[in-house]
Amino acid sequence: MKKLWWKILAIVLLVYVHIGGLLFAVPRLRIHETIRSLYFHVPMWFGMTFMFLISFVYAVRYLRTSSKEDDIRSVEFANVGLAFGTLGMLTGMVWAHYAWGLFWHGDPKQVGAAIALLVYLAYFVLRASFENQEQRARLSAVYNIFAFASLIPLIFIIPRLYSSMHPGDDGNPAFNAYDLDGRMRLVFYPAVIGWFFMGLWITSLRIRYRNINEKISETEL
Amino acid sequence: MSVFELIRKDFLLELRRKSVIAGLGLYLFSLIFICYLTFNLRVNSINAMTWSALFWLVILFSVVNSVAKSFIGERKGVLIYYYTIASPQQIILSKIIYNSLLCLLISVSGYVLFSIFIVNPVQDHLVFFAALVLGSVGLSTSLSIISGIASKGNNSNVLMAVLSFPVVVSILLMTIRVTKNAVDGIERAASTDEILNLLAINCIAAALGYILFPYIWRS
Amino acid sequence: MKKLVYLVLLVLSGTAVQAQDFEMADVMRSNGQIYVVVAIILIVLCGLFAFLFMLERKIRRIENKLDNKK
Repeated sequence: MKKLWWKILAIVLLVYVHIGGLLFAVPRLRIHETIRSLYFHVPMWFGMTFMFLISFVYAVRYLRTSSKEDDIRSVEFANVGLAFGTLGMLTGMVWAHYAWGLFWHGDPKQVGAAIALLVYLAYFVLRASFENQEQRARLSAVYNIFAFASLIPLIFIIPRLYSSMHPGDDGNPAFNAYDLDGRMRLVFYPAVIGWFFMGLWITSLRIRYRNINEKISETEL
Repeated sequence: MSVFELIRKDFLLELRRKSVIAGLGLYLFSLIFICYLTFNLRVNSINAMTWSALFWLVILFSVVNSVAKSFIGERKGVLIYYYTIASPQQIILSKIIYNSLLCLLISVSGYVLFSIFIVNPVQDHLVFFAALVLGSVGLSTSLSIISGIASKGNNSNVLMAVLSFPVVVSILLMTIRVTKNAVDGIERAASTDEILNLLAINCIAAALGYILFPYIWRS
Repeated sequence: MKKLVYLVLLVLSGTAVQAQDFEMADVMRSNGQIYVVVAIILIVLCGLFAFLFMLERKIRRIENKLDNKK
């Protein structure tokens, strides 16, 4: 995790995305230039999903190994996922205000995302309510697994049953209407990868900070 | 001790304490009565969506109150006793089955009360009861597990509400949709998707509960 | 150099013009204001990256310090 190359990759990709996202041509649609928000808004949701997925994987690993490090990793990935989700929510609200006329539109995807955020906020409330470190880690890992499983229908199934104002509600989330447009993919996919690595980077810093904290409190004892 | 015996024991305990059943019934009744009074439902008609949503909200509140007890209310001694006589898998299975039955009982009596006090607009009874069964099982499965987690923390009543809401939302949304279809009497093919989804969610929740409960139980 | 950039943009945008036309910020593009915006965003972005690198260096220093202590 301490290698340099993927940080460089994240930087290069994000610089490219911010140049390309603003300068390259986009399809001329009803929402005018704001279609460019897709490059910056949707990768937040992808980032959130990936971070929660990794958090879930470490929660499973914690239950098998009971090592404190896996617990710390799981928490920090959930933390960064929550940050991505919040940014996705805020950017989405700004964009919705332009495209649909209201900040909060009750769109199924918006609601699903809000519930996803609530689930992980509840996860942190749960963690705060234990004093025993080992018990906290174990039970929050269980809740993490359960929460992630309950997110799957929320994010991937329910938005497809209800009619959504988001494009592509009957297929791949977020993207179908512009599928024809290969030029947008040229920026969109690098954006997803770039933000994902960015998330990894920030998380790794937070994990190292937490580990240092742990070590110090151990030596003090 | 087998799962079956555990369920039987749960029932005996519950039935012996008449106040519990009576309290639950009264809770359900007052909820529905409040709905009736506040919405003025005899005068104003109510549409299918509102009826389904109201119905499931009432069920949800009563179920949260009854199922939450499954681990939170128990005294320490009882839990230790369970610990010695049965494996965690048996305990969670028995709790899930017991809670599902209880929840089914609540929802059926809720339905009866609804048809007395408000209206009984259900047209397709088979689909409606499928929703009732699947919804009850789903709610009680997830709530049993959440109750197991919440019972370990401080301030477990608040924790129960915070943890359970997001988890049951997807179950609730699906059942409300199926119920609405049943109320409207739409052709059955329209609800199969939701029913299958509900079934899948129930299976996942039950499987996760079965696998994860030993970790909750260990302390 | 600037001509080259315009040429690339022209090629990229050539396929964009479709039958029904919605109003886009073409003026902002043609008179080059957009480059100011891009430059500002890039500066902010680079500042963030530099900040992250510095944070990482600080964390590494503390890690080493801890390891030496043991």
